[in-house]
Amino acid sequence: MNSRRVKRITVLDVVVHLIMVFVVLVCIVPFIYMLALSLSSPSAIMNNQVSLIPVGFNLNAYKQIFTYPNFFRAYGNTIFYTSAGTFISLVMTSVFAYAMSKRFLIGHKIVMKLIVFSMFFSGGLIPTYLLISSLKLTGTVWAMLVPFAISQFNLIILINFFRAVPSEIEEAAIIDGLDYFGILRRVIIPLSTPALATIGLYTAVFFWNDWFNGLIYLNTDQHPVMLFLRNIVNGTTMVGDGAGSADRSTIAMSVKSAVIITSTLPIIILYPILQRFFVAGLTVGSVKG
Amino acid sequence: MTGTSVHPKEKKAASGAPSSPLRRHFRRYWQLYVMMLIPLAYFLLFKYVPLFGNILAFRRFRPGMGPFGTDWVGFAYFERFMQDPAFWRAFRNTLVLSISNIAINFPIPIIFALLLNEVRNGWFRKFVQTVSYMPRFISTVVVIAILGELLSPSSGLINRILVNMFGIDPIYFMNEPAYFRPIYILSETWQFTGWTAIIYLAAITGINRELFEAADIDGATRLQKIRYVTIPSIMSTIMVMLILNVGSLLSLGFEKVLLMYTPSNAMVSDIIDTLVYRTGLVSQNYSYATAIGLFSGVIGVILVSATNWISRKSTGESIY
Repeated sequence: MNSRRVKRITVLDVVVHLIMVFVVLVCIVPFIYMLALSLSSPSAIMNNQVSLIPVGFNLNAYKQIFTYPNFFRAYGNTIFYTSAGTFISLVMTSVFAYAMSKRFLIGHKIVMKLIVFSMFFSGGLIPTYLLISSLKLTGTVWAMLVPFAISQFNLIILINFFRAVPSEIEEAAIIDGLDYFGILRRVIIPLSTPALATIGLYTAVFFWNDWFNGLIYLNTDQHPVMLFLRNIVNGTTMVGDGAGSADRSTIAMSVKSAVIITSTLPIIILYPILQRFFVAGLTVGSVKG
Repeated sequence: MTGTSVHPKEKKAASGAPSSPLRRHFRRYWQLYVMMLIPLAYFLLFKYVPLFGNILAFRRFRPGMGPFGTDWVGFAYFERFMQDPAFWRAFRNTLVLSISNIAINFPIPIIFALLLNEVRNGWFRKFVQTVSYMPRFISTVVVIAILGELLSPSSGLINRILVNMFGIDPIYFMNEPAYFRPIYILSETWQFTGWTAIIYLAAITGINRELFEAADIDGATRLQKIRYVTIPSIMSTIMVMLILNVGSLLSLGFEKVLLMYTPSNAMVSDIIDTLVYRTGLVSQNYSYATAIGLFSGVIGVILVSATNWISRKSTGESIY
């Protein structure tokens, strides 16, 4: 960054700015297209009139999907998995990280090695699946929530964060008569809200977007909305009803687009507000040595 | 750190007999150990038991007899998949897709970061950056669903442009084997370029300003500054990222490939992980699939160690 103002615009500037505009468009246009499709009339879609602006604007597609009990239930499932899963994950990770932040505990080194080791060597799909099914967790909501409650990555970030809390603060709390549970709850957690918010958001996004675990562990009425969307896209689930097959596919198109938009809407809406937390987290656990 | 001098609720030693240091330790810190119990148990259960579960690759699985199998069969399953052309096809597909993906998607975030750094308007730069890593938070299902619509042979935007402007017949992109790899790679570009670039941008902002000022004094152009100052300064970051990428060569975006898989493009779209999924979870050949997975995992470990070692010897950068 130059401190002196150079007003001369070079070829490099023009090229770079064009590329950046292109990048922005490429990132946004797919969603605009989906939005336009979801707000257009089926006949316009069938006649290939829709590009980025809705033709025959109507909200029928959205009204329709909210009458599908499967969609409604799937959306509710997703909301549940995301909130419960994130909460469980934050609690487990915080408690574990706080205990592990104390280097004087016996066995601390071994457990630390176990944590790091497991980041490189993971069990694999089949052994994990067999474990979860032999624990009788398949077909229950716990299969979605429990196995991914602790991410080693987040754990290590939190451990380092907790270690950076000045010891005087804890000592003052101890003098005030708090025990370690109290310290965690009343002192450490409030001080750690940025880190917790970042980890929480990453975890929430993970749960919101997760579909594969639903595929292999859950029954149909427990599916999250992303799995519901996937089933629509590959034709396992039919949506819409129409007299002829052409009607069925074009109604399905505006409906499909509506499902796409609604399923990822919270992320798109909340993203601009929350995105600074995502970046902060990335540089906290930075790869660069 | 605290611990030795201050402790909560110390019970006054009523009797004169001194308690052992160990007992004192536990009396002070028992709460911390209790805190560790449940998470540690969970951790061992869900992260380490599956590791041992890989032993199933050497034993026969019988339904209802537990996840570790019953009688030993040695390397029988390994021999079986080594002779299975489906395995070698998946192996080849994994390597080709992974190497092509790295070839394209490793340099692009670096270039993007370098270019973005050249944008002079701070507001615009921040705006582009923020928009560019939004796709990373979109579910793969949504990405593939949108692609399906965009590339649809009957109504997709791309095909409409092709037909109307160029008079080409519509192409069923998502079904054609020839387009599978480009679509996979380019969708990875779309999803992760902005996000990966953050790491490089962070490295670039960490470069000492004096280096640039010295280059200015020497009369360097902006492009020359990029080539002789910026890139060498972030080389350590680049190498670490390269190690991580090559190390995970065999573990591709399994979910995305699974979503893109159709019987028509199976010959290029079947990768090791989808093969494991199909033979294991769909066909329920658990031992066979575990053997393949174990084989793939071991190769992955070797890859990480090898690239780490090579990098340490040649450039001095390593992860461990």
